[in-house]
Amino acid sequence: MAILDRVRDPGERTLAVVLLAPAFALLALIVVYPIGRIIYQSFFDARLSGGHGHRFVGLDNYRIAFHDTEFWTATWHTVAITLITVPAALVVGLGLALLANLPFRRRWPVRLALLLPWAMPLAFAGLIFAWFFHTEYGIVNDVVRRLGAGGEPTMWLLRPGWAFAAVCVTIVWKTSSFMALILLAGLTMIPRSLYEAAEVDGASHFQQFREITLPMLMPSIVVALIFRTITALQTFDIPYTMTRGGPADATETLAMLIHKTTIDYLDVGYGSTLAVAMFVLSLAVTTVYLRRLARTP
Amino acid sequence: MSPAARVATGLPANPLAGRGLRLAAAAIVVVNGFFPAVWILLTSLKTETELVRKPITYWPRNLTLDNYVRAFTDQPLLRFLGNSLAVALASTALSLVVAALAAYAIARLNLRRRQLILTAIVASSMFPLVTLLVPIFETMRALNLLNTYTALVLPYTVLNLPVCTLVLASFFEGIPRDLENAAMIDGCTRVGALWRVVVPLAAPGVFTAGILAFVNAWDEFLLALSLNANASMRTLPVGITLYQGEFTFPWPTISAALVVAIVPIAVLIALFQERVVGGLTQGGMKG
Repeated sequence: MAILDRVRDPGERTLAVVLLAPAFALLALIVVYPIGRIIYQSFFDARLSGGHGHRFVGLDNYRIAFHDTEFWTATWHTVAITLITVPAALVVGLGLALLANLPFRRRWPVRLALLLPWAMPLAFAGLIFAWFFHTEYGIVNDVVRRLGAGGEPTMWLLRPGWAFAAVCVTIVWKTSSFMALILLAGLTMIPRSLYEAAEVDGASHFQQFREITLPMLMPSIVVALIFRTITALQTFDIPYTMTRGGPADATETLAMLIHKTTIDYLDVGYGSTLAVAMFVLSLAVTTVYLRRLARTP
Repeated sequence: MSPAARVATGLPANPLAGRGLRLAAAAIVVVNGFFPAVWILLTSLKTETELVRKPITYWPRNLTLDNYVRAFTDQPLLRFLGNSLAVALASTALSLVVAALAAYAIARLNLRRRQLILTAIVASSMFPLVTLLVPIFETMRALNLLNTYTALVLPYTVLNLPVCTLVLASFFEGIPRDLENAAMIDGCTRVGALWRVVVPLAAPGVFTAGILAFVNAWDEFLLALSLNANASMRTLPVGITLYQGEFTFPWPTISAALVVAIVPIAVLIALFQERVVGGLTQGGMKG
């Protein structure tokens, strides 16, 4: 026991520090330092392209952003995508989860069908759906034609409104599977006895859904919604691969604008300012999530 | 409920009982999940002339593998595949080691602020990656690390830290302390007990966390596009997206390349689906 005590007691705190050090070192390098850095850089005219210095400009970048219509448009697109695709993915995901929860003899085809869209890169979903929505050779316009809608084929990705809609449809397809997987896990945890009792009491299936399924599922729904909202605010891959933000910036999101400003124009000062704006937008959502996490034992 | 009321809801007496209904439900879920992948597979097997024929064909008339040959010869697809594998494997290994150490501390040691530490790890990785893009790009550029594996491996490790830590911590909590104590009485150090007793017992958890980390790294697009844009350093999602010219998509080659890129990840999740689902809900729900 003496050995045990010596190993356990004096070393406990040191051991904790040693074990946690790598994780916190990485977080410091990749997360904490960058957050400080974007706030600092947002007060500078810092362009990496030749000939420009590193000049303190105070709030100029923020003033520019305030009058920058592209910034406001991109922010609006980001918010709109979030407000449209998050609830839509929840509804579709809940539908898929309810269907997948039926007592199948073989579970794997259904489970794999939910896992495949989740595991596929967003960029691939964007490319595949861009092919679906192709004006001449896409299956969407082919189905429209077969259904007898005459006239010219719709130029999905070349018309601002349609392109935005096509991007939203793709995001909903790609993300509803993750929703369904989380909700399916929640569904399987609802005790069957609740439904049996409801059955005895003569509750209809709709009543059972409203009085048992939905309330019992609420924790899963909240978690799935928060996760989805955080990722929706960062939407980049799907509009980038489908439209590159076009036509005429109609599908450009805040993340795409930050990427363009920083990587294409090498304007890290203004890029940082835009990143701060994105940061503030996400912070609100993250705070809600963390409040919840802190309550979980 | 009276039979009449049941009829009024439009549902059979027990909707779970109907075999036809179950089949229909399965069909909806399966078609929704597989159709895009199947469609791109069919596309990849059509000849180029068939692809631009109107009205479009659904089933390929003349099966051809030409597109696959061209996918590998027109672009360094094999190189992209290698880059994706290298980056995903390295970052997965690194996040597992770092997360295992942290998760052990969180699960086992008498830390006063366990929940706070766990929250800090999860929270700091929840900040939008795109806001960190600017400084990460600057740092990697200053360190001359652009277009290297390191530029992606380090951020991906952090990206995967929360999910790995959550999954592993909950696995470690399930392993009885007595086993460790016994190992320590037998002369193991605490860290020795961690590697020889706890980690092997948590192997399923390590594996689950590893698959999730691998998929995340395999799928990442924004950083890969921004930091490793050199043709020889692109990962699969970036490489295939950039097949696209200014106004043209070379669909025959893109579709074949997509199939090549989707197969490995599809096989991985097909083999380990139960673990993936378990890990996903654990990482999500506990978090």
